[in-house]
Amino acid sequence: MAAEPQEYLVQHIQEALATDPRARELGVEVQVAGDRVVLTGTAATAAQRDSIGEVVRELADGYGVVNEMTVLSADEDGTVEELT
Amino acid sequence: MTRVAAVADIHVGADSVGHVAAGLQHVNERADLLLLGGDLTRCGEPVEAQLVAVELAGVEIPIVAVLGNHDHHADRADEVVGLLEDVGVVVLDGSATTVDVDGVRIGVAGGKGFGGGFAGANATAFGEPAMKAFVEETQREAARLQAALAEVRPNADRTIALLHYAPVPETLRGERLELYPFLGSHLLAEAIDIAGADLVVHGHAHHGSERGVTPGGIRVRNVAQPVIQHAYRVYDLREPAVREAPVAATA
Repeated sequence: MAAEPQEYLVQHIQEALATDPRARELGVEVQVAGDRVVLTGTAATAAQRDSIGEVVRELADGYGVVNEMTVLSADEDGTVEELT
Repeated sequence: MTRVAAVADIHVGADSVGHVAAGLQHVNERADLLLLGGDLTRCGEPVEAQLVAVELAGVEIPIVAVLGNHDHHADRADEVVGLLEDVGVVVLDGSATTVDVDGVRIGVAGGKGFGGGFAGANATAFGEPAMKAFVEETQREAARLQAALAEVRPNADRTIALLHYAPVPETLRGERLELYPFLGSHLLAEAIDIAGADLVVHGHAHHGSERGVTPGGIRVRNVAQPVIQHAYRVYDLREPAVREAPVAATA
């Protein structure tokens, strides 16, 4: 069987990330580059980032998965924007 | 000085216990009101709403929220709302509330909003029933928001429109253009410009930009947490020199 076209693989991964209970994330950028699937975007926690990588590894058979997602920085920002 | 803290898309799930609370440690000193622009939970499960309630336990200033698309996923939005209301969060859905801060009355009108796209490339209620239903959902959200703003604005010194979906494309910059119809609608901006407001706060667009403005000149802020990269933003709504007249968006 011919390998799945990359465009369909990207779509299948994004559908899985929206529906798989381990991920539930719509905001992941998925790119296929050569024999790798590269993930970028922001996850709420480190655990969620790792779960997203796990879901993608299961789907992207034959590809390496490069998980470059960052974890949200949610520290308090001392600045105030004045709206006059 | 009327300081409004705002954040959206905190996406609380079982693995994020303590995460949000840690970021809100000083919010009581830094702001007079906390706005939550939807996607409070990851999948809209009541157990996640309970976790949100725990995360917000240390917040002593009033909290006003709207739900987002994630909060509807489990089809248990009523239970999510009930659990948030149990801990004092005011959840708006085409409705409005007022909060008094040191003699200044802040009116907040809010709702989830919906998609459809922006002027020149927006969806229309034509053709298949599914397409009509999609557009009618946005029309309904916009009409209810406009009515809520119109109701609260005469009784408030400052008025804020709180949404999950975006009312303008400027705060989507950074998102793929193909996604714009699913991220917001110009019908929301039109409703806000007709009724009038001092600030619009929304979330939903994780790859978007913080600052924009409606066609009628009202400031718009996308406070999705991946955009602001902080626990929340604080906006100081200063004294207006002159209350701006609502902008007539239709002839």
